[in-house]
Amino acid sequence: MSKSDVVVIGSGFAGLIAALVSAEKNKKVTLLSYGAGTFPLNSGVVDIMGYDEKGAAVASPAQALATVPAEHPYKKIGIPSVQDAVKFFLDFTKKEGLPFVGSLDKQQWIVTAVGTMKPTCLVPESMQGNQCFDAAEIVLVGVKDLKDYYVDLVAKTLPDWLGKDKKYSTFTLDSHITGGRDLTTLDVARWMDTEKGFNDAVSQLKSQAGSGKVFIVPAILGTKGNEVYTKLVAALGCPVVETTGMPPSTNGLRVRDMLLDALRKHGVEVVENIKAHGSVVDGKICKAVVAGGEVRDKKYEADSFILATGGFYSGGITMRDFGEANEVVFGLPVEADCVEERWVNEQLFSAEKQTFAKAGVRTDASLRAVDEAGNCVLENVYVVGRNLSGYDFCFEHSGNGVALSSAYKAAMA
Amino acid sequence: MEKATVVIIGGGATGVGILRDLSMRGVDALLIEKRDMVNGASSRYHGLLHSGARYAVKDQEAAKECIIENTILRKIGTSCVEATEGLFVRLDGDDPEFEQKWVAGCAASGIKAIQISPEEARRIEPNLSPKLVAAYRVPDAAIDGFRMSWQNVASAKRYGGRVKTYTEAVGVVVENGVVKGINVRDYFTKEEYVIGCDMLVNAAGPWCGFVSELAGLEVNVKPSKGTLIAFNQRIASRVVNRLRKPADGDIFVPHGSITILGTSSITIPDPEDTSTSWDEVENLMKTGVQVFERLRDYRILRVFAGSRPLYSASGDTGRNASRGFVILDHEDEGLKGMMTICGGKFTTYRLMAEKLCDKLCPKLGNHEKCRTAEEALVPEVPEAEKKAARKYFPAFGVNLAATRLGTERFGNVVKRMEEKPETREVICECENVTLAELEEIAALPTSHIISDVRRRTRLGMGTCQGNFCALRSAAALSRFDNLEASKDPLGQMKGFLQARWKGIRPVMAGKTLRETEMTRGLYELVFNVNGGRPE
Repeated sequence: MSKSDVVVIGSGFAGLIAALVSAEKNKKVTLLSYGAGTFPLNSGVVDIMGYDEKGAAVASPAQALATVPAEHPYKKIGIPSVQDAVKFFLDFTKKEGLPFVGSLDKQQWIVTAVGTMKPTCLVPESMQGNQCFDAAEIVLVGVKDLKDYYVDLVAKTLPDWLGKDKKYSTFTLDSHITGGRDLTTLDVARWMDTEKGFNDAVSQLKSQAGSGKVFIVPAILGTKGNEVYTKLVAALGCPVVETTGMPPSTNGLRVRDMLLDALRKHGVEVVENIKAHGSVVDGKICKAVVAGGEVRDKKYEADSFILATGGFYSGGITMRDFGEANEVVFGLPVEADCVEERWVNEQLFSAEKQTFAKAGVRTDASLRAVDEAGNCVLENVYVVGRNLSGYDFCFEHSGNGVALSSAYKAAMA
Repeated sequence: MEKATVVIIGGGATGVGILRDLSMRGVDALLIEKRDMVNGASSRYHGLLHSGARYAVKDQEAAKECIIENTILRKIGTSCVEATEGLFVRLDGDDPEFEQKWVAGCAASGIKAIQISPEEARRIEPNLSPKLVAAYRVPDAAIDGFRMSWQNVASAKRYGGRVKTYTEAVGVVVENGVVKGINVRDYFTKEEYVIGCDMLVNAAGPWCGFVSELAGLEVNVKPSKGTLIAFNQRIASRVVNRLRKPADGDIFVPHGSITILGTSSITIPDPEDTSTSWDEVENLMKTGVQVFERLRDYRILRVFAGSRPLYSASGDTGRNASRGFVILDHEDEGLKGMMTICGGKFTTYRLMAEKLCDKLCPKLGNHEKCRTAEEALVPEVPEAEKKAARKYFPAFGVNLAATRLGTERFGNVVKRMEEKPETREVICECENVTLAELEEIAALPTSHIISDVRRRTRLGMGTCQGNFCALRSAAALSRFDNLEASKDPLGQMKGFLQARWKGIRPVMAGKTLRETEMTRGLYELVFNVNGGRPE
């Protein structure tokens, strides 16, 4: 095994971005992949900062970034890096056929599968929920036999968010997919990928189209890129907006495919189904990470390493017994405020951040782990995404924003 | 004015047992429950159908009652009991003398305890600790407290018995020392009204003291809180008891795809207190891990607690508290027409009801014999009907649904799936609850909120703890205008997950953390059920 310039550990959003940015800098990159991160769960949009410290909706993510507390990853990443990362991502997605839109100056609001709206910053063209605010009529489209998307629930909730002065109507699309099992958005998206399916959908929806109307559909507009979306908008002659939804997240998987395709083009070595679980360290320098495949362990050597294994969900941070948090690859110090009274809030959906959600690795401004005294632990290991401590991505709606900008910064270092 | 000959207060196992017994003897009876049925101690326990072996040393009378009732409940409640059998295991270091006393106690109580070798025990239950030195097979079983209670209600209804849920007793109507009725309050509308009756039965379990106070009487109930842990796997296929002097954390009961570890015992003033703490969990885990050494590697689904209604007799009455339950006729204290039943165990609920009715019925001039031990609670769904249903059901779900629903409702559900294919959707994958079943239960007059449907169907009680079905059930129930749940579907969805959260909070470590990150990721991020609106 020849030595790489960079080994990226983890293939969630942060890991793929880190590998991509490194590769674009002409580095020799190896990506160790185990699972798909949160792509199948998350909406594939880039939240930067949806709610501030007090839980108030943020109008301008750029302004909110300036007020985060010292412990927050954004404070370490710095606003210029966030700006550069956003620009990088917008350019990249445009080039790769799934163009994202948005800016740090203005929050966007997208429609969810339960009829609420969610603040976010960068969205694919197919999810521009802001278009709904000015619509005269909203056509809510459901799909026959589609699981986890209930158009009547959306119809009941959405007027609370968009205003009751609009007209709302519902329509059920029939994909004619039979076979006795529950349909997911991914099944319907595959149907929309086909010419026959697309034409069928257009012929059913056409009668509902009209000026001043906006269609809201579950995430069914194709499995790749924005081609299906573009064609549908043209065919119907009015805006179409996709919602978020239960897993599998069609849009999350579109973003994943786009990133993996790009890595392949750059010649990044992607090692699949391998779990990193240790490292070879000399003083403050990491020489290699040790990862286990189906058969045996292997060492992956590099000049620098980017840790993107995720938090509790992805298993990058574990806590088998309360109070004993662990970072599994390098054994980096994990900051976790394990005091029973503070660890969990009374309410699951709380008006305050959850302490357990903030557990992670504390770093310096270059995203290298530091010990309690503030000294850098490993000089060539960078920590990104949900491995980082000091933020509650659910409360803030900031997960992919931290992932994107920390990965970008680490790769540019 | 609404009337019943007998009004029973309390929708737990004791209350439904009495309702069924009275109804079968031809007495017009109405049960009132302040919230939903089976919301107290009868569902908040480990779900063990005792063989009696646990009491074989200390209380052989209770042990004998248990083994007799155990045999009866297997017969009349086939679809509520999972005949797992049980093991008693002694570990290295546990008192060998206790084992001798226990073997003798089982023999004296009529409980068949068959000794097997430690090797054999570990062969049939491979997760057991290698420190095991002695093992016995006993006729323990797992029992579904919700289902058993609902089936008692179903049985009572066939004989004219009635129930009213979300109906709280707020006062007793007494004229010249005789009970004439009861003042009740509707939980949702807050409306208060009177139900007339000749006899009042206080079967409120740990709440007995509060109910007797309404009549100006004192019943000395000491609620004793027991905390339990549910794991997301069947750690053993049998009930596993520690063979030693009964203590905290030494019973494991498998139920469907999960295992429950219990329990502790803390005297508390208020039976509404079902809070649990890290300390209680750790206390149970510390003992539990001695029996199953890898216990900490299993994901904890949730922690829950309930109150036992322990009766503490006042010295001078000389009632024998060791029997476990007591029947008080308040006529002895000058109030005619009111009885209280208190204490006891789930396993002996039927016997308790029988004893109470034997005392009560003659007062009404009724001398019928008890028949509750002879007749099955509900008729079983015939195999042919189950076979036909497999056309529409997920294969694994047919039996589950048949046992949950009973013949009549199962028939309705199958018909609905046949006629409306969209109702074949599986709402809860863990427990195989279809939309058709959800609709059947949602239409009942006792269904108001999602949790009412949950207790009937087991929706959201499996290994995903509501992660996926919270959305689906909120959406499905929002279509029922008769339900409270339809008014604010997102509020219901949040409330449902919050109720689960209560049991997850004290175990937020290990794999539970992972599960919670997913729950929050879906509901807070993807659905934004928590955040505010744009300006």
